[in-house]
Amino acid sequence: MKRDPIYGMMAEFDSPTALVEAARRTHRAGYRKIDAYSPFPIEGLAEEIGFHRDEVPLVVLIGGIVGGLGAYLMQYWMAAVDYPLNIGGKPYHSWPAFIVITFEMTILFAGISAVFGMLALNGLPMPYHPVFNVPRFALASKDRFFLIVFSSDPKYDPAGTRGFLQSLQPRSISEVPS
Amino acid sequence: MSAVKTPHLDLTAPQVVRKISQRSLVIGVVFAVIAVVLAFTRPEEFYRAYLLGFMCWLGVALGSMAILMIRHLTGGGWGTVIRRILGAAMRTLPLLALLFIPVILGIRRLYIWAQPLGNIEDKHLRQHLEQITQTYLTVNGFVIRAVLYFAIWNLLSFLLSKWSKETDRPNAPDNSGRFKAVSGPGLILYAFTISFAAIDWIMSLDPSWISTIFGLIILIGEVLSAMCFAVVVERILFNYKPMSEMLKPDFVHDHGKWILTFIMMWAYFSFSQWLIIWAGNLPAEITFYIRRLNGGWGSIGLILALFQFVVPFAMLLSRPFKRDIRRLVWLAVWLLLMRYLDLFWIIEPNFSRTFVLTLADVVVPIAIGGIWLWYFFRNLASLPLLPAYDPDAHEVLQAGT
Repeated sequence: MKRDPIYGMMAEFDSPTALVEAARRTHRAGYRKIDAYSPFPIEGLAEEIGFHRDEVPLVVLIGGIVGGLGAYLMQYWMAAVDYPLNIGGKPYHSWPAFIVITFEMTILFAGISAVFGMLALNGLPMPYHPVFNVPRFALASKDRFFLIVFSSDPKYDPAGTRGFLQSLQPRSISEVPS
Repeated sequence: MSAVKTPHLDLTAPQVVRKISQRSLVIGVVFAVIAVVLAFTRPEEFYRAYLLGFMCWLGVALGSMAILMIRHLTGGGWGTVIRRILGAAMRTLPLLALLFIPVILGIRRLYIWAQPLGNIEDKHLRQHLEQITQTYLTVNGFVIRAVLYFAIWNLLSFLLSKWSKETDRPNAPDNSGRFKAVSGPGLILYAFTISFAAIDWIMSLDPSWISTIFGLIILIGEVLSAMCFAVVVERILFNYKPMSEMLKPDFVHDHGKWILTFIMMWAYFSFSQWLIIWAGNLPAEITFYIRRLNGGWGSIGLILALFQFVVPFAMLLSRPFKRDIRRLVWLAVWLLLMRYLDLFWIIEPNFSRTFVLTLADVVVPIAIGGIWLWYFFRNLASLPLLPAYDPDAHEVLQAGT
């Protein structure tokens, strides 16, 4: 697959409020493939770039169910099928005894799913990311706020998008090579 | 904050609160008349039902006090917005102390250890009772300890309400340090006193049975009742100002999370007790579950496991559900019914091997509830719904506006 030589158009802002306002106007202008970067979490920014839900809770739920079922079936197989052992005259399939492990494995699998599901969905670790081709982007970890419109957005065209971003009065605009 | 903001909102409780208070009193009195008739015609059934009803409503009051103390320690808008609801429930403790008197009057009908021991046929039980009625389980001890529990609870309630009232006026002192100083030790005291009270009032119905986690099961049931009750009251108030301005989805979300936490802890404690007793399978302990899983009582236990834990747990996983007071309130009402059923399942099988639900079991809890609600809503109407000059008040008055 041939990669687009241009990754997107990036605008730099001075304050979180300017970034949120710019994000709102960009989204309203019809751009959908956009992203924002800031040194700290900003209340309401995710909503402005049209990011509503992520799939991590679903991954955690599935992980939890798999862990719980797996733990229960494993114990059932061990205690009642593979190596039946009479403990205190109780039935081989004694569910109360299985609950503790089932509970712990549910938590364990849900926790692991949360970590790896998050990594899988956000693509980390990521040794190369085009945004770092812009030298000023290093300031996103300090005191600057960035908004990017990806070149994959249907509305993207180099001149028009640059003109639109200019109207948001950013500190600077850079084209991001991929 | 140096400059205290003058509230832009009238914080007085809406008129409807007084109306509910009066209606509750009417219901309470009507049912109390029937209850008094039952007390004379069917005293055995009456006193059991009385203990059940008393524990239900005491749970709401004490649980409210505990949640209020947690709020004083942790802070947070979720607690500030309901602190006057919790406070009004807590200030019913003097009434509950009075309502405890019939339990003392019925002590010989309720507790086998308070009866003449000569009549007991089971030799082992008689010997066991002869021992423990020399030391812990004596009628005098029972009464003195009850007085002590109520004294401690009322003292905590008195201090917390007194300092809270001070912050209704401008230039109020910052009482958050005092609240913290009392709430930390107060929560520990609550855990100990309610454990002893649970042993005295409920566990001693079957004096041969012991469970060290039983006090905690009662405790967590009380805070669960209290949070559900607060959600129901906030829903009623949400139809009117000022609550309609104060109650934000973020706060409701937190209340939903608390309910989820409490039902999980209830399930955790209850299952721990069950697992240990089931695994040990000792005659002195297993009788508790043999009685409660046979003779028709078993289906009640199953209903509790499913509808006080499994189903509400699954519902409360949903974020939109927890944030919507209009939907969350129905779960809260349901869980309050489950609290009644839970205490019913703990108390009543001590008296009957087969399932029975007497008229008194329904009438007496409603009678106590009507009178309790009258007093609660009167308390709620007597103070503004938010202490406007408390340093935390701005969290609720400003949030989301």
